[in-house]
Amino acid sequence: MDADRMVLNAYDASAVEEALVLKEKHGGEVEVVCIGPAKASETIRKALAMGADKATHILATGDEEYDSASYAKILSAFFKDKEYDVIGLGKQSQDTDSGLTGSMVAEHLSLPYTTNAVGLEVENGNLVVKRQGDSGQEMIELPTPCAVTCSNDMNDPRIPNLKGIMASKRKPIDQVEISSLGIDESELQADTKVTSYEEKPARQAGKKYEGEAEEVAREVAQLLDTEANVL
Amino acid sequence: MSTILTYIAISDGKLKRSSLEVLSHCKSLADASGASCEAVVIDANASSFVDGIQKYGASKVHVVEDPIFKNHMNTPLLKALSKVMTSVNPSVFAFASTEGTKDVLGALAANQSAAVIADVASFELIDGGVKAKRPVMAAKIMNNTEAKSDKVLVSVRSGSYDLNESPESAEVVNVDFSMDDSEMKATLREIISASGDTIDLNEAEAIVAAGRGVKDEEGKALISELATVLKAGIGASRALTESGVYDPSLQIGQTGKVVSPQLYIAVGISGAIQHVAGMANSKVIVAINKDPDAPIFEVADYGIVGDLYKVLPPFIEEIKKIKS
Repeated sequence: MDADRMVLNAYDASAVEEALVLKEKHGGEVEVVCIGPAKASETIRKALAMGADKATHILATGDEEYDSASYAKILSAFFKDKEYDVIGLGKQSQDTDSGLTGSMVAEHLSLPYTTNAVGLEVENGNLVVKRQGDSGQEMIELPTPCAVTCSNDMNDPRIPNLKGIMASKRKPIDQVEISSLGIDESELQADTKVTSYEEKPARQAGKKYEGEAEEVAREVAQLLDTEANVL
Repeated sequence: MSTILTYIAISDGKLKRSSLEVLSHCKSLADASGASCEAVVIDANASSFVDGIQKYGASKVHVVEDPIFKNHMNTPLLKALSKVMTSVNPSVFAFASTEGTKDVLGALAANQSAAVIADVASFELIDGGVKAKRPVMAAKIMNNTEAKSDKVLVSVRSGSYDLNESPESAEVVNVDFSMDDSEMKATLREIISASGDTIDLNEAEAIVAAGRGVKDEEGKALISELATVLKAGIGASRALTESGVYDPSLQIGQTGKVVSPQLYIAVGISGAIQHVAGMANSKVIVAINKDPDAPIFEVADYGIVGDLYKVLPPFIEEIKKIKS
């Protein structure tokens, strides 16, 4: 499932955007952290071009068979002795949609956290998160340091402008080897493994009804009763 | 004997149907493998739900009752789940994939050193673990994932399994639970509800979903009327939740809710893949759109090509006639 070009995950882009908005309002520094192969540096540059101040690239070969738990352990090991107010993450990846890593990192680091944020504010040094829950939106106040996973419904990530792109070339990217983080390789061994992919059986297109609105509307309503049996 | 445990979610004072679907499936897995089928319910009024749970085959129900569970908060929920998991030691712990579940699943896996597979369309037991099918890439592809571990967490998309009654008279285990204020890491300030009487989309038998074609109050009124006639939930495409026409909790799609009702009526929705990812498993899909080339017609069983403002009034009237 390897693509030639790597792109910034849409949910992660929202997390970066939100961090930049908080920085603009309240000051501070935005650092991005990415685990990925060498070519992921392109993705990191994009976040720097959006306005992040600096970056850490945790180098992976891309051939490791890591799962969410492995990535969460790597990130937790990296953050363990760092100082930060908020760790922002995308709520899930846009290819696998698992949505596990954020709360795993929070648990490993014993951080207060919330998921699926659709809005962030800072009040009295605390992070106030609007979270989209099952039946309503929850307003949750978290002391810092904390972790939050972001929905792409919270903002439209900015498109880097030329000035940002030029500036990004001068911003530092720290490269870190996983082996330097003090985790035993056996701990990173994934418990879950994708064994195969299959095409999802496509849904067959049914019948299209075109013609006079009144007539086709009544016809389909009838069919929902007599043929589909769903009324 | 190994145990298959199912978490029963309560929402707005009701058993979540999606949890009972998962329990129905776990019961059949347990019967086939000789495992014990147990359930855990965590709520301010947890014990009142035991009757409804044992109907679906749980032989033991673990009850965690505390006022703190009146509203969803991840810290107490995680503490309760960890406690029950530690004492029951299930080989499989299954959940319905609700927003509440998504908020704690990864943390619980980390806390319990369990393997986890999230948001599956189906799962079964294999030697030494669980094998599951997961829709990925905006639900265009299925991947087969295996978890090899003596404890596996798995969350299941709503509508993946049918409800199947299998009454048991369950043993009730009341679990001691208490939580100090000092343990609360976060504060829930308030809950902004969409509106009191909306139907939960994950539970709805029928859904009427509005898209960009619904342009004004008149269009919204038609959507509401159709939903009322069908006793359906109302959903919306991202275009309409983002522009504030509908509440964000009603968004259906890859980033919103993934639904699979008996009847899904897409009104004025073009059918972007992100939207289709959230509704393609509905049993019967009706699409109403004036663009005959709209991609939504590729997944619709019944496609009506026409202006929704002209189609909906006679459509509603005819359904009213049929229903009466």
